[in-house]
Amino acid sequence: MNTQAPPKEEPSEKDIIASLQEQVSASRLNLFLQCRLKFFFRYVLKIKKPKTASLHVGNAVHAVLKSWNKARWVQKPLTLIQAHEAYAKAWSDDPDGIPWKPDEEAEEKTTGWRLVNTYLRESHLPADVKPDAVEVPVEANLINHGLPRLIGILDLVQQRKVIDYKTCASNPNSEKAAHSHEIQTSSYSLLYRHNTGQQESGVELHHLVKLKNPKVVITPMPPMMPRQQLRLFKQIEAYTEGLQRQDFIPSPGMQCASCEFFNECRRWH
Amino acid sequence: MAVKLSANYSKKLGLPQYSSHSFSASVEIELTDISQVEAEVQKLYQLLQHSVDQEIQEPGFVPQASNGHAQANHRNYPSQGQIRQQSKSPRQPRANGDAWNCTDGQRGFILRIVSDNNLEKQEAEDLSQQLFGLGVKQLNKMQASQLIEDLLVKAGKPARQTRWQQRPTQRQAA
Repeated sequence: MNTQAPPKEEPSEKDIIASLQEQVSASRLNLFLQCRLKFFFRYVLKIKKPKTASLHVGNAVHAVLKSWNKARWVQKPLTLIQAHEAYAKAWSDDPDGIPWKPDEEAEEKTTGWRLVNTYLRESHLPADVKPDAVEVPVEANLINHGLPRLIGILDLVQQRKVIDYKTCASNPNSEKAAHSHEIQTSSYSLLYRHNTGQQESGVELHHLVKLKNPKVVITPMPPMMPRQQLRLFKQIEAYTEGLQRQDFIPSPGMQCASCEFFNECRRWH
Repeated sequence: MAVKLSANYSKKLGLPQYSSHSFSASVEIELTDISQVEAEVQKLYQLLQHSVDQEIQEPGFVPQASNGHAQANHRNYPSQGQIRQQSKSPRQPRANGDAWNCTDGQRGFILRIVSDNNLEKQEAEDLSQQLFGLGVKQLNKMQASQLIEDLLVKAGKPARQTRWQQRPTQRQAA
């Protein structure tokens, strides 16, 4: 008798699309609305692309901020040296192997640490205020609205305020940042409400800006308004309907200049 | 021919000193097909109810109990947060009993992590108290999810999906 398990079959494109219809995250939704073909390459065909330097910096910065927040939560705040060690450890965790250019890695590593150092030095996270949650995965079943399950990970919740970290290369404009990140902020508000039964006291974007002299720009926003929730629901509805139709038409524009699927897109017809 | 669908939702709530306040919201939409009515009615009901519930939590001016003089409500009326807590009472921590506030799935996951990793239930309880000042059964869904993350770390297991390590993107890390 053959007791060997049969090889696991790769899910078909149809299965992948069906599972994408069952749950949505802010980043998936953003990408689908930005360019459906890019979404198709990333989430349906799952074409792997090398990790970029800026993403690696963002990952390491987020990792050390997570450690910092967790430590102050249990009232064992990290010293700057411990934070630096956590940063160095996160930096060395590079399973994807970034193809660094000469000197690039050292420069980027320094840039990332200067961002963290600036953020912590300016006391944006007071040690005496305990977080409510740190990088916590949450989900909300929206079936009552005829929509799929919404999933997300909250970077930091503190005093009922949902805080999201961003690393960027230039100063963000508050109004534009609030607009361009609305899918994410509304999603997080909704997730917070579904998972706590309370309304958030607000949402804040903490931008760590990679300038010669790094700076932190905080964009505070009030709790999600009903019209913002309605807007999010309509966007999720467009996502599910688009997937249902298998609508993966490209949206050429300025954003294509930095798209990792540029070559695949050019071949699409 | 377009089908017009009108929906209205109103709610009236009692306030101190025999007063009350009410609020209603209406929408009118056009449908292309009458078969859409049932689904749209369900959607509109959810939407309107949620919108009205959001707004009605702010009572505005409320007469004072002692002398009847007009006074801003924030002095003698529960805060907006308290009202929300009252209105969402089923989700609030319960003091006693066997019921868990989190989902059944989270409850099962917490118990499984404890049993599969030879942890004591008390360790989970202590961790919950340390983080939230609440017992495990009292945790809401967000707190339970956080506890699961921390229990996995305590058990030496890899955390569930980490946002910053799973998302390949050409954009700057968001």
